[in-house]
Amino acid sequence: MIKTLLMNIDEPDQVEIGRVRERGGYAALEKALRMEPAALIEEVKASGLRGRGGAGFPTGMKWSFVPKNSDKPTYLLCNADESEPGTFKDRKLMECDPHLLIEGMAIACYALDCHLSYIYLRGEFEFIAHTLQKALDEAYEAGILGPSVCGRDYALDIYLHLGQGAYICGEETSLIESLEGNRGYPRIKPPFPATHGFLASPTVVNNVETLCALPWIIANGSAAYAAMGTEKSKGTKLFSVSGHVAKPGVYEVEMGYPLMDFINNESGGVPNGRKLKAVIPGGSSVPVLRAEECEGVLLDYESLLKAGSMLGSGGMIVFDETVRMPEALSVIADFYAHESCGQCTPCREGTGWAAKILRNLIAGKGKRPDIDLLLKIADMMEGKTICPLADADVMPIRSFITKFRSEFEELCSN
Amino acid sequence: MPKLTINGQEIEVEPGTTIIQAAQVAGIEIPHYCYHPDLPVDGNCRMCLVEVERMPKLAISCATLATEGMVVHTNNDRVKESVRGVLEFLLVNHPVDCPVCDQAGECRLQDYYMVYGLHTSEIPLEMKVRKQKVVDLGPMVVLDQERCVLCSRCIRFFDHVTHTGEMQFFGRGDHVAIGTFENRPLDNPYSGNVVDICPVGALTSRDFRFKCRVWFLNSTDSVCGGCSTGCSMRIDHRDGTVFRLLPRRNPEVNKSWLCDEGRMSFHELAAGERVRRPMIKGRDGMQAPVVWEEAVRSVDSKLKEIRDNHGAGSILGFASPSATNEALFLFKQYMAGQVGVTRFEFRADSEDKSVTEQEDNILRRVDKHPNSMGAIKLGLVSKEFGGIEGAIESAREGKLRAGVIIYFKPLVRRPTDEEAESRVAELIRAVEYSVVLAAHKTDWLAEASVVLPVTAWSEENGSYTNYQGRVQLARRAVTPAGDMRPVWQVFALLLAVSGADISWSTAADVFESLTETEPAYRGITYDEARLPGALVADI
Repeated sequence: MIKTLLMNIDEPDQVEIGRVRERGGYAALEKALRMEPAALIEEVKASGLRGRGGAGFPTGMKWSFVPKNSDKPTYLLCNADESEPGTFKDRKLMECDPHLLIEGMAIACYALDCHLSYIYLRGEFEFIAHTLQKALDEAYEAGILGPSVCGRDYALDIYLHLGQGAYICGEETSLIESLEGNRGYPRIKPPFPATHGFLASPTVVNNVETLCALPWIIANGSAAYAAMGTEKSKGTKLFSVSGHVAKPGVYEVEMGYPLMDFINNESGGVPNGRKLKAVIPGGSSVPVLRAEECEGVLLDYESLLKAGSMLGSGGMIVFDETVRMPEALSVIADFYAHESCGQCTPCREGTGWAAKILRNLIAGKGKRPDIDLLLKIADMMEGKTICPLADADVMPIRSFITKFRSEFEELCSN
Repeated sequence: MPKLTINGQEIEVEPGTTIIQAAQVAGIEIPHYCYHPDLPVDGNCRMCLVEVERMPKLAISCATLATEGMVVHTNNDRVKESVRGVLEFLLVNHPVDCPVCDQAGECRLQDYYMVYGLHTSEIPLEMKVRKQKVVDLGPMVVLDQERCVLCSRCIRFFDHVTHTGEMQFFGRGDHVAIGTFENRPLDNPYSGNVVDICPVGALTSRDFRFKCRVWFLNSTDSVCGGCSTGCSMRIDHRDGTVFRLLPRRNPEVNKSWLCDEGRMSFHELAAGERVRRPMIKGRDGMQAPVVWEEAVRSVDSKLKEIRDNHGAGSILGFASPSATNEALFLFKQYMAGQVGVTRFEFRADSEDKSVTEQEDNILRRVDKHPNSMGAIKLGLVSKEFGGIEGAIESAREGKLRAGVIIYFKPLVRRPTDEEAESRVAELIRAVEYSVVLAAHKTDWLAEASVVLPVTAWSEENGSYTNYQGRVQLARRAVTPAGDMRPVWQVFALLLAVSGADISWSTAADVFESLTETEPAYRGITYDEARLPGALVADI
């Protein structure tokens, strides 16, 4: 299977620029710099690359929303605030192949006529900050970044910014607020970041994995990338698999790869002779799938949506038969209650309320009406907030309860 | 001009109007907490969600622009269910301590609960998030974090109106609370406004809290008497006592705000002993009470005697920049028209402060009188005589023999007030004959020949002309105990005694005469002087 992201991930010296260049690193950037920015955007559009942060919005189209003749500078912000439970793919890329990200960012910046770019790194990833900063320093020293990128008449600075540990800052407008030095609160849209983003200027926020896909696309051409995957989900995708699998980790597969094959082959299957119970395919915020629902499902945006879940960030969590679903849901609900920024009412009050009810339930203090109350709270929260954090809590609550209701009822006194 | 339909009603609005504003124009109220017309939109409370046809999700009406052809529903089942849900969320962790809450009776949580909620709480008390109940936020404001709906109006007020930024959110999720950094005091001169804009009982007034249940209060429209800005306000009172002053929204003057000094100015009025009966100094040099009739006849004949013996130039008309337009008008009618006085003054302050000079860039002005512009527009100043100092000088030289003086102590005090007051005392001592119309007793009042007790701001109907030349009406809220009369009535009596063939029975009658007689005020009607007030001619 072709690798577009993890081709050098197992090379221990891939963090050193000298070795990176020997392996062909930054060649795609050199090629991109010989192209017209407009042609570059067309190339990315043609590749069918979609945002890998979770929403799956076409990257080339996102870029094309940036106004061409703005009197303000354009900014590219790399969203490296990866903190969705179950998701650890960006971390792998940044830890093991930081120059791939820098190269991808430089390509994107050139295409967007952006001269100042930031990497917004999750606060808890402080250990990666050292790796990234070293790679940035090397890139400056090698003339890849700075006043003259690869000797061309194009200046680019990339700064690393460490967040302070708030999940909400992975939402692009909160990320922008946080980067501006404000409290990490999502903004009301419109206006969208493409026109009014960082410092009220045109801004593109792209996920680490999205940016890391660019060098391969430029080096091999959009047609080669678009040849992989399904009709609407092109290329390859990283999945970070955790939970009850023999080989948890980060794997790259072609879009449309069968889910059960991924669990049984790449992930090494469910260990200890236990049976598969459920799978959260795309990070804790997407609906859970029962084992029987996973049969025949393919790993791409459309197939998972059809199956009643979502591809999300590709953070796959596998549950075997020993998992008590109310407890698993309680952990997820606690996470969203803890991470709700508190700005809008339904999320602030609803996530906390739901988490408390669930804690009560698993402590054996719940009552049957609490189960329907949880579903009511989900209805009251859904679609009523500025950002999707409340919805991210709604989906597991609703899917866990409707699909495993008897387990919740067993916990209740009558 | 986009045309849209709200609940079947078609309306046309200015481009840039939001749905919530458009609904207001159509007389449809959309429930809300965080939206405020004089603050930037924040969109956090989610109460104002409405259905816009062809939009998949409900939209917040405070941040969604009205566009051509838009069809909006604010009261269908889907919207009502959403509002009910948000309200239930707001009450999940609310302490529901209405019986001991000062906001009860004017609380948006109570109001909307009665319209949209009426649900039974599904969360037991012990599951509620606890926060701090009594947080001292400085001289004006007390915070109860548990009652807060986190609408950020107070935070936005300090960020965008005063630009002082004292308040902020702390914490995350349902543990978010408002407060000041390191509990620093909230002591900027506009802090009281956040009590007004707080839609619930989180921010209460240190001055007003626990004094009176709001449903016992009567409200009277007024204009602040604290400075020349003339902010539109409302006097809340009960049984002759003023309990609090609140802003009335006037986009042309004060938007929704008041300064703290203006807000507290009624305490200054209540402080100090009042003059309650007319007094005339006898041959023994002691003042003795007389009835109004006698006082007025005595003043009229004495003034005319002095005029006849020494000429009208020997009499000074000293008006007050705190008196109403009506008072100043009849003062002028009597003094100039009947006695023939030409020498007028109204400032006791030594420097000729500009009426328009700002004390800060929000509301407060240096001139601490509500009607200096009225006195100027009525021509009650004669620059060639050198102000009050010049008058004292003339009196000492024997050129000036009598003075009719209206004196109100300023409602907002400044260190220079004592100096100004001592000049008035000096003037009284320097003339042979002095008639003083006053509301409050002062030491030097005993030296006046005649003292006439008058009502003050909040106790009479009348109008004031602010620094812009805007005429605004103030209504009588309370009636003081005693035989006081409004200044205009005193001069109406003097005019009657003097034989003027016109009479006025109300302040409104005087206003009508004023607008018929005085060029600057010509044509202004009583109705026009209501919100936002009418501008005088630039004469």
